[in-house]
Amino acid sequence: MSIISFSHVTKKYPGDVVALTDLTLSINEGELVFLTGPSGAGKSTLLKLVAGIERPTGGVLLVSGQDMRKLNRTTLPFLRRKLGLILQQHRLLQDRNVLDNVMLPLVVTGASPQESRQRAMVALERVGLDAKALATPMSLSGGEQQRVSIARAIVHKPRIILADEPTANLDRASAKGVIDMLHTFHSAGVTCIISTHDERLLQGADRVFELARGKVAAVHDAESEVGA
Amino acid sequence: MKFFREHGFACRAALARISAAPGSFIFNVLVIALALILPLAGLTLLDNVRPVSQGIAVEPEISVFLSTDIPGGRAQALGDEIRGLIRREQLEAKVEFISRDKALNSLKQRAGLGDVVATLGNNPLPDAYVLKLASAKDAAGASRIEKLAAGIGKLSGVEVVQMDSAWVKRLAALMTLATTVLWLLAATLCGVVLAVVFNTIRLQVLTQSEEFAVSRLLGATDAFVSRPFYYTGAILGLAAGALALAGVMLAMLLLNTSVTQLAALYGSPFRLAPLPASTTGMLLAGSAALGVLGAALSVRRSLRQPG
Repeated sequence: MSIISFSHVTKKYPGDVVALTDLTLSINEGELVFLTGPSGAGKSTLLKLVAGIERPTGGVLLVSGQDMRKLNRTTLPFLRRKLGLILQQHRLLQDRNVLDNVMLPLVVTGASPQESRQRAMVALERVGLDAKALATPMSLSGGEQQRVSIARAIVHKPRIILADEPTANLDRASAKGVIDMLHTFHSAGVTCIISTHDERLLQGADRVFELARGKVAAVHDAESEVGA
Repeated sequence: MKFFREHGFACRAALARISAAPGSFIFNVLVIALALILPLAGLTLLDNVRPVSQGIAVEPEISVFLSTDIPGGRAQALGDEIRGLIRREQLEAKVEFISRDKALNSLKQRAGLGDVVATLGNNPLPDAYVLKLASAKDAAGASRIEKLAAGIGKLSGVEVVQMDSAWVKRLAALMTLATTVLWLLAATLCGVVLAVVFNTIRLQVLTQSEEFAVSRLLGATDAFVSRPFYYTGAILGLAAGALALAGVMLAMLLLNTSVTQLAALYGSPFRLAPLPASTTGMLLAGSAALGVLGAALSVRRSLRQPG
């Protein structure tokens, strides 16, 4: 069953910069999908469209059954609560400790502080950072900050995890650790869409969409020899 | 429960932001309080003066002084003639006869005049009629009152006719003017308050822009991200309003010694009193509301940014 569906989606940025052209693809619930391709291929734009950070210029994009072009300021936050975002730049709040950062997706939904704290600690345990709950993000390494970002993305039990270059700037061991974690969440039934440059990380993907110049250049499924 | 939790979170967030930069907060409170203090002082003054001016009749009053050598019977008969003239001019008036003896007794009872009256050999005061007329609703009514005064002046035995309302009307007009000026001043200074709060919140939003953006990415609604700024605006307005009112109270305490001394010279117990608690509460609520409005305008502008 399709949870994300792009139908002839086009995205143009101001200045007639075309990021996606007539893109049609669908992603099923529970799939682990990788997006690959060179810089400027449209990977980040695709993820931004799914997260509602950008709007399609043309075509129809359905996320969890909702037409992204019809979502407004009131309804968009409720869709975002079904998503877990892992961003390349982590975007952790530097003036708050790790625990507060991880609690944030729960706090914005109006969850009680006790429940938020408890669930955030569980999420931190899953990424192996419960001992650093009271540390500031700045005192952590890049890999640890990415793990905090992952804990923040999973704390509210999202249906879809969107990860934009989650292993960029990480050493190989940390990168592998991050991907292993995403595999764990996928095995728990969460749909994961991960963009990456690193073809060594594609093992275990259900499908890999290779993008080029805003279009799907190739699709590799689990049976193909992805990243071999 | 969720409602209170969300507002509690927003209030704590606002207090945390304020305590993170207390100097800036205090400075902003001072600026807003300075803008508020002038209209609040004016309001306090008007509130004190209004009962005094309202105690004075603003209805036209005509005093008719009779000749001192008029026989008693003629003085009484004049009353009917005056009432006749009032009816002829289609006016409503309460006519009161004040005998010369009653007028002298009244004068004796006035502070400081008893000794003066005692030195008089005989009663120099005339009999008089005091006509308290209903206020004229239009120019035609005012003209009829003047016509009535002229008609009474022509009656035999009437020495002087005096219209007593002119100065009271001037005072009332002055009070109305002062009130209008005060409202205009208050409106202008409210604009200043809005501008200060708007700018303060805008700077806070800029400082917190990353938190703003990340929270929205994680599913925060506009209401969630805006609420702490509304609380900051409300706290700012409330603190400034309280400070301005405290400033007015302090000024009043300092002025009251001189005011009571001056009033005592006129035999008046007048002293400046603070605004009633209900008015004070409304003013505080008003300044807090101004803070919320300034914050709302500022945050609304920031929310228009994409993402």
